[in-house]
Amino acid sequence: MKLYETTIIYDPGLEETKINDEVERVTQPIAQAGGEVIEVQRWGKRKLAYNIRKRRDGTYIHVKHKSPATLIAEMDRRFRLNEGVLRHLTVLAVKESPRAAEDAAKAADGLAAPGVESPRMAD
Amino acid sequence: MARDGESRSFRRKFCKLCFDKVERIDYKDDRRLSRFITDRGKIVPRRISGTCARHQSQITEAVKRARILALLPFTSDQYR
Repeated sequence: MKLYETTIIYDPGLEETKINDEVERVTQPIAQAGGEVIEVQRWGKRKLAYNIRKRRDGTYIHVKHKSPATLIAEMDRRFRLNEGVLRHLTVLAVKESPRAAEDAAKAADGLAAPGVESPRMAD
Repeated sequence: MARDGESRSFRRKFCKLCFDKVERIDYKDDRRLSRFITDRGKIVPRRISGTCARHQSQITEAVKRARILALLPFTSDQYR
């Protein structure tokens, strides 16, 4: 099994509880398929660089996980059917060297602060 | 410090990412990446930014991914 990173942008109109359900719907199949959810990051509501389906913001969820390859295709299919998902991207995660991990931690500090404006807006 | 117009002042260009000892540039790090795109949203060529080949190819990949996630623009609004 390989290590993946999946980022999903949900409709900003979905409430907190709805988002939690959605996250559950992503993480549960991973565990069921024998994978492993390593980390779930909630970036919160962020401004989009361009409008997607007429939305200006999106609620970002970032999941690091180990999954069988077949599940990735299935996840992709489900995201595309899900109306609440504005955008999604799954990429292979790079194995982190200690230095890269440090960099990522620094970047995540700016991003992962829950419920606050995006770091770019804070500039 | 002279930044992009080094050629005029005969200042040698250097890779800013090597200087910062960046191992791997991440597509989630939109603030860092935004330094390597023009105000139109285009990726700045190596010839201008002085980035080394290794980092430039990382930038290219990262910017493209960041665009998909709407962290960076494909193009700037005002030119649309």
